[in-house]
Amino acid sequence: MNSRLLLAGFIIPMALIIAAVPSNTTKQYKLTANELLQEAVSYEPYIHPDNVADMLVQQDPSLQLIDVRTPDEFDKFSLPGAINIPLSELLADQYVDILDQDVKMNVFYSNGSLNSNEAWMITRQLGYSNNYVLQGGLNYWAETIINPVPPSSTSPDEEIAKYNFRKGASMALGGSVEGNTAKSAIPAKPVITSKKKKKRVAGGC
Amino acid sequence: MGPLVANEIITTDTNLVFAFLIGIGFGFVLEGAGFSSSRKLAGVFYGYDTVVLKVFFTAAITAMIGLLFLSLFGWIDLSLIYINPTFLYSAIAGGVIMGAGFILGGFCPGTSFCGASIGKIDAMVFIVGLILGIFIFGEGYPLWEDFYKAKFLGIPKISEFMGIKDGLMALIIVLVAFGMFWIGEWAEKKFPREEY
Repeated sequence: MNSRLLLAGFIIPMALIIAAVPSNTTKQYKLTANELLQEAVSYEPYIHPDNVADMLVQQDPSLQLIDVRTPDEFDKFSLPGAINIPLSELLADQYVDILDQDVKMNVFYSNGSLNSNEAWMITRQLGYSNNYVLQGGLNYWAETIINPVPPSSTSPDEEIAKYNFRKGASMALGGSVEGNTAKSAIPAKPVITSKKKKKRVAGGC
Repeated sequence: MGPLVANEIITTDTNLVFAFLIGIGFGFVLEGAGFSSSRKLAGVFYGYDTVVLKVFFTAAITAMIGLLFLSLFGWIDLSLIYINPTFLYSAIAGGVIMGAGFILGGFCPGTSFCGASIGKIDAMVFIVGLILGIFIFGEGYPLWEDFYKAKFLGIPKISEFMGIKDGLMALIIVLVAFGMFWIGEWAEKKFPREEY
């Protein structure tokens, strides 16, 4: 009888505890190959350069550009406000707080999109959210933002907008990663913002 | 951390080694608890000995609560645990065949090997029947393949079906189990048998 009471006295309180606590929903992340494929083909991680440029121009504080190229390449050229996390250093302890957070929107970029894709996949596999990839990388950035090809039948508004956009972008390029140079580019930026809106309307029509 | 195989902490080969060791331990405890006696096993159907019910339900609720606590502490990912998929008709038919065989033969598959290992001839005969059954099932598979695969339900959970938390379901099962233990011991007193 005693052993029965002992058993009941142990198991029933344990069951009461497990019934009372909320169930653990944290997933020890490991995406299966299939799940990762699903995410990769859904284009969920890709952010178009227009959107990134727009956020840069509007000084959106939630944007965090992350350059996954080597420090040498980063020193030569980088997008404004970007920080450098070389792909080989991605898993270093000091970057965990940057990569694993739910406040900012991290956008990986590299020359093409291969390395940034790899960075995204690794962080995704680790279960980090809010990480994205700059679509097409810096090459596509140069095509669309720095040297936009004017469409054959565009309104003058759009051309001006694109010209201003390019000017704004090259201004941003002139500065280095430092915050103060980015601030010096502010006066030019509100102008660009208003033109950008026009461009959007024109595009919509 | 867990499950160890799914998270590639151990290989499937190492897993087999663990399975072997756990299997030996399981058999040892079964034998020690008297599960190699078909009279004792059959007792659960007649009410004079409900040790089978008590042992297996105790194991089930212990494992259930253990898994839920491991999951709570983040030591195991329950979504990666393999759960037998349910094919409703074959599950029912299999349960009936298994139950009938249990009453007739006095063993379930695991305990028959337990009995055979201590030299019980009825257990050995039971194993022959078991292998015969496997053979007939395998050879005649095309005949009952449609029935076998009918009414596939995926991996349903009672807690999901009832829309309650796993933990609450566990508490209900624990209380039901203890209720059954109590009824079982009452039955043992009600239908006593001197020797078996």
